Amino acid sequence: MKMWMIAAALLFGAASAGAQAKVEKGMKLEKTASFRIYSLAGTVRIIGWNRDSLHVRGSIARGDEFHMGGSPSGAKMFVENADERNPGEAVIEVFAPVRSRIWVKTATGSVTVSDFLGGLDIYTVSGAINVTGSPDDMNAEAIDGNIRISGSPRFVRAKSASGRVEFNGNCDDATLSTVSGGVTVERGVFERARFESVTGPIRFAGAISSGGSAVFDTHSGITDIAMAKNADVDISLVTIAGKISNALTSSRPIPGRYGRGGELTTTSGDGGAQLVAKSFKGNITLKTVK
Amino acid sequence: MNEELIDPEKLRALEAKVAGLPRAIHPPDVWNEIREKIERDSITPIGRSTASPAIRFWQKPGFMLAATVLLIASTSVTTMIALRGDSAARDSASVASARPAAMPASFLQFAAKENNYIQTANRLQAIVESEGSTLSPETVAKLKKSIAVIDAAILEAREALAADPANRDLIEILSSSYDKKLDLLRRSAAMGRS
Repeated sequence: MKMWMIAAALLFGAASAGAQAKVEKGMKLEKTASFRIYSLAGTVRIIGWNRDSLHVRGSIARGDEFHMGGSPSGAKMFVENADERNPGEAVIEVFAPVRSRIWVKTATGSVTVSDFLGGLDIYTVSGAINVTGSPDDMNAEAIDGNIRISGSPRFVRAKSASGRVEFNGNCDDATLSTVSGGVTVERGVFERARFESVTGPIRFAGAISSGGSAVFDTHSGITDIAMAKNADVDISLVTIAGKISNALTSSRPIPGRYGRGGELTTTSGDGGAQLVAKSFKGNITLKTVK
Repeated sequence: MNEELIDPEKLRALEAKVAGLPRAIHPPDVWNEIREKIERDSITPIGRSTASPAIRFWQKPGFMLAATVLLIASTSVTTMIALRGDSAARDSASVASARPAAMPASFLQFAAKENNYIQTANRLQAIVESEGSTLSPETVAKLKKSIAVIDAAILEAREALAADPANRDLIEILSSSYDKKLDLLRRSAAMGRS
């Protein structure tokens, strides 16, 4: 019995390996050039490096075709699937100039980026997006894929519909948005930020820089804001039918019209930065960061 | 008047002529015609039955009365909303910078914008669901789920706004939900382009 299982495992492993074809290609690419990647399923991994060249390696499903071409100022690659309705999985690893501009589109494929300082445009339907590092600007969009950013991009737009959006780092200009997934900011200082959902929870544990502003906007998701004690922020919270709890300052919310909902306008520390949170029926909590 | 300029003879002759004039003038033909025209065009008093079948529904007194009341009421409400909107806008100037520039500040502005929201959303939804889109049926199904979540939020906020049309926070929340719906549809339409 044991021998049969080992034989079956070996046979399956060989068949799996046989179902993939290796790809490897390189070309010269200027340091700030753009590169487009189109691969529906599998994984795309982008790594920034300090060279003026591009190197792509990985594997694609047997029967699929790998194409790559362009000039040093702009190039692209794509995986042509034999069956577009049920695309085979490709594993693509791209070493690109650290300050180049990368555009990626997948369907179910996940996208991972690390050590990259340039510009990113990432679009996926249900794949996960995971960015580590500090790209100059990035735009990440998914329908039901999760987005996670660990780093400090100068400018970020991260939007999902039913997926989660998680952020851990500083940012000058951030918009993190989801419909029913959640938005989570684990830490970081923001100059201008907008966090929004429809039903998903918004959890923020960070700071707003002096003179900066942050807007929290949800319909029915909870809004949980944790900031340092005496953070210098002018705060305005409104909920039509939800509840406001404040443990950051001594002010108490006033009941809203018709006895439902509430409003709270308060200043923490010396004020200066602006924090506005609005919800239709989601509860809003203001507290000190642990 | 200077009496030295009046000729007594001429004055007596004039008085004699005036005395000969009739006390009143009655041009019977003209007055009859006028009277007939007034009576022909007269409005039937409320409650009195009329033989004329030519009166349209909007000429009926009940309709006209209701229209008048409605006009007065809507004018008053519009004025009140506009004034309260302006006042609220002044009060919250400190937080206005956090609001997106295109956000309607009053019910009137929102009402004008809502039609555009709906038309644009319908157009984008048709693109997303069209045969030309490369989005798979599974993706469209997932997308529809998220759209349904936003639609439920819009409906809830819309009902609340109908009960409290001057509530600027509600207008902002509702506008924001519409914006999220349009944004999701735009992104999906763009993703569906091969």
